[in-house]
Parts: sequence; structure tokens; C-alpha cells
Amino acid sequence: MNAYTCRYCRQPSDPSQATCPLCGAPVDITSVVSESGWVEQPPIRDMARIQFGQSHVQITGTRVPTAEFTLSPREWIYFSHHVLLWTEPRTGLANMRLKGTWNRMMAGMPLIMMQAQGPGNLALSDNHAGEVVALPLHQGQSMWVREHRFLCATGNVGYDWDYTGVWYETRNGDDKETHYPMGMYGDTFTARDQHGLLLLHSPGNTFIRDLRPGETLLTQPSSLLYRDMSVRVNLHFEYPRNLGFAFWSNRWSYRNIWIRLTGPGRVAIQSVYTPPEECEMISNHSYATRRNW
Amino acid sequence: MTCGAPLDVRAKVSDSGWREAPKLRDMTEFRFSMSTCQVEGDLVPVAEINLSPQDGVYFEHHVMLWKDDSVPLSSMRTAGGMKRTLGGMPHIVTVANGPGRVAFSHNAPGELVVLPLHPGMELDLREHAFLLATHSIQYSFVRIKGLANVLHGGSGMFMDRFVTAQQPGLLMVHGNGDVLERTLRPGEKIMVEPGGFLYKDSTVHMQAVQLPVKAGLMRRLYMAEMTGPGRVGIQSMYVHHHAGE
Repeated sequence: MNAYTCRYCRQPSDPSQATCPLCGAPVDITSVVSESGWVEQPPIRDMARIQFGQSHVQITGTRVPTAEFTLSPREWIYFSHHVLLWTEPRTGLANMRLKGTWNRMMAGMPLIMMQAQGPGNLALSDNHAGEVVALPLHQGQSMWVREHRFLCATGNVGYDWDYTGVWYETRNGDDKETHYPMGMYGDTFTARDQHGLLLLHSPGNTFIRDLRPGETLLTQPSSLLYRDMSVRVNLHFEYPRNLGFAFWSNRWSYRNIWIRLTGPGRVAIQSVYTPPEECEMISNHSYATRRNW
Repeated sequence: MTCGAPLDVRAKVSDSGWREAPKLRDMTEFRFSMSTCQVEGDLVPVAEINLSPQDGVYFEHHVMLWKDDSVPLSSMRTAGGMKRTLGGMPHIVTVANGPGRVAFSHNAPGELVVLPLHPGMELDLREHAFLLATHSIQYSFVRIKGLANVLHGGSGMFMDRFVTAQQPGLLMVHGNGDVLERTLRPGEKIMVEPGGFLYKDSTVHMQAVQLPVKAGLMRRLYMAEMTGPGRVGIQSMYVHHHAGE
């Protein structure tokens, strides 16, 4: 029985390698943990290989890393067509239809996934400076991922997507607008009958943390990268105390819109995010907590 | 002429044969002709040129970061006139002559690729990707032929072409993200996302081809088919040519 468990992918791994063969994380480094408990996900080293089944993926580059797959016969991966950087002509490409076409189109999510079947080589990359994050999933394990962060998954990982349920409405006169600060939909990936591999692209740097049962954390909605299914999410509004300098302005101009993450479970955030707009008064919202300072 | 690549590191070649462009170390300095170039920074690198009196470089004016007050600038008219303007390419490129210092940078995270060109070489480059070239290199453009190539090729209507005649020259390119290069054998093919194409030898044939898979409700997927012999360079960050979907 292998006693070594990779501290990043949480899977039994091989400490004799320079990098974890399952997630590509360097083995021979000291964990970098901030005082508040965030663990910095070390970038996958240039040219590191990650094994899955009889195939492997090699991560090349450091600024906008490329995931270069060598697929063996009968093994396949799926991805959104816009991340395909190059492919050999012999690699079998086909479409993978998804449910809920209309809803996905309205939410700006890719309508059609592509699948690539071996034998053959191909490479995928996303369009932001950042890191590739590899998440090996053991049989039956599920992971929630923020929309548009998915790079690819092996064929034995099931893909589903669902409404996030995190929203608020703003009103300006008769105009009403609904905002989804962490996206309208989120992706859920599940390793069904055997373990699988999920690759994400994380703009900027990536930090992970384990929340204890009941432990809560406030974070920017668009910074959430992935979370265990056991972690609960809701909105949180925070209004700073008006010290008199803003008497001419609306109080909501200074508010903070957070998501509150409640453990137990693992969460990961990315350092590049877009703060929610803060221009109008919130007239309605999904379940939220509130703090007036 | 040198290119500034570190000599004490192994070439990084992936399993399928793509070689990473050598990462130029911060403050690397190398010579070309009687001038020098120093590369500064890592995330969005700057090329700082110290021009000798007999040397000059040309560039698109928006990539010039700073210059000595004394460095004279002039304009170099390019062939093609209205066709270039219609294709969204600069009608005029700017020339800086020595003596003096002038620095250049592009506006995206990426890396500088230094391509020394020997006499008699021809290199095609994605439009707007070139940072600077020395005055000994002839600059022209090639029109990308075929409606499918123009509409689906992702490289616009034109490619820059750099040709050296009797003199060697130095070409500097900015690639977004990481830059990878592969040398194709005669007849060898590789399919590249059109937005990821960065440069190629003129011997490499590029053709937009439709793949039998959908990229949307009403659209098929197009890739740029590169056929050897010659070098192909790609960048890992790009504006996807169907990003407007």
C-alpha cells in the first residue's frame, strides 16, 4: 500500500518522481502556506507529464501553459472547441452534444463540446496568463467548477451543469437587471465507473484551502475556481459604515458583494477576477447574509 | 550575430516534437551588426536597442516604449498602399537610426522570439506580431489567397514577409503566452488553430481546412493546415477567431 498522498490532488501518489504522476504538482518542494491558511498551488513544471490510463498529457510553457495530449487507441478526452491549439490529422475529432442548448446559449456557455479519440496527439490552451490545474478524480468523486474554467476531461468523467442559484437584481426606474456574480451556471464533473482526470485553466495564481465543518469564508464571486460538492455557497452583502464623506452619494456605491463559502470541504480560488458592478440598488436577491458596519 | 538564447540549458522539446522558444533571461544582452539589444523583464519583455551610427531598425510605431531624444525617426513607406490599409495593416512603418537607444514592447504577456535571418531566407509572420527588424531585412507582405483562408484562416488578409538578400538581419517577434516551434518534414502536416499561428518559413504551405465537426449551431470548425517542409511557430495565447460567438 502506498503511504504517500499528494498534498495537492489528495490521491495516493509516488514520492520518488519529481512531479506527481497524477496531477503534475512538484513533489520535492516545501508547501507554501499563507498565515491565514491558503495553500499556494504550485504551477505544474514545464514539460511535466501526467498519466491517465494508457495515455498521458504533458504541460508545456509557463505563461499560458499548453496541455499536450498523447492519446492511446480507444482513449478519449472532451473539451470546448475554442481551446484546441493544434492537432495531428490522424486524431479522431467528433462532436459531443449537450443537453439544454437554449439555456447554454443564453448563458454564453459553449453549445457543443468536442471529443478527441486516440491514437494521436493534440494540444489545448486557454486564453489567459495563468496555470493549468489538474484534478484527478477517484471513482464516484464529484467536483463543482466555475463556468469557463474547464479545459478538458477524460472520457470517463461525466459532465453536468446546473443553475448556481446565486443572483441579485438591480433596479433603475423601470429597468430591472439580473446579475449572476459567479455565473448563471456551474459545471459539475463526476468520475463515474473509474477514476478520471479533469484539467482546468486558472487565470493568475491558484490557492486552495480546506474548510472545517461550519467554517465560513468570504471571497470574490468570480474568483472561485472549484469546490467540493459539500461546500455550500450563498451571497453576502457588506455595507461599510458611512463616515459622512459619502452623504451626497448612495450607500450602495460602497458595498461589497461576496460569496460566503461554508465548509466542510476543499475550495480553490484564482487571483484574477472581476469584481461585481456596484452601480445600482439591489432590489431582490437569492438567499444572502448581510452585514452593516 | 547572436540571439541571446541561454546556452547552459537543455532544449525543451515536448513528446510530439514542439520545441519551446528559448526563454531569454532578464537583462540578456546580444549583438547584431555593430549594435546591441538587451532584453528586460519577463512577463511583458522589453527589447532595448543601443543603435550604432550605421544601423537602423524599423517597427510599427505603437510598439515603441521610449527613446533617447536624439534618436532620429523617419517613415518607411511600404508597398501595397491602399490594399494594406484595407487589410488593417500599417501603411507606413517607422524607422529609428543610430546612434542612440530606443526600446520596444508589445502589449500582452508573452515572450520575445529572436530570429536571426541568414542571407537568402524568407519568413512569413502573422500580421502585427513583429516587434522590430533590422534595416538589412526587406519587408513586404503576402496576400493570403482563397476566400476560405481569408474568412476562416484567422490571420487576416495579409502576412508580413521578411526576406534577406545579401546581408544577414535580425527579426524580433512578440508571441502572446508561450511560443512553440516545430520543423515539419516535406509533406508532413499539422493542424493549427488559426489564431495560434505566429510564423512560418515561406516553404510551409498554409491552407484553411474545414473539419467534419461542428463549432456551433450553424458553423463548422476550421483549422489552418500547415504542410512542410519548414519551421512553424505558434503562440499559446490568442484571440480565437470565432470569439465573437
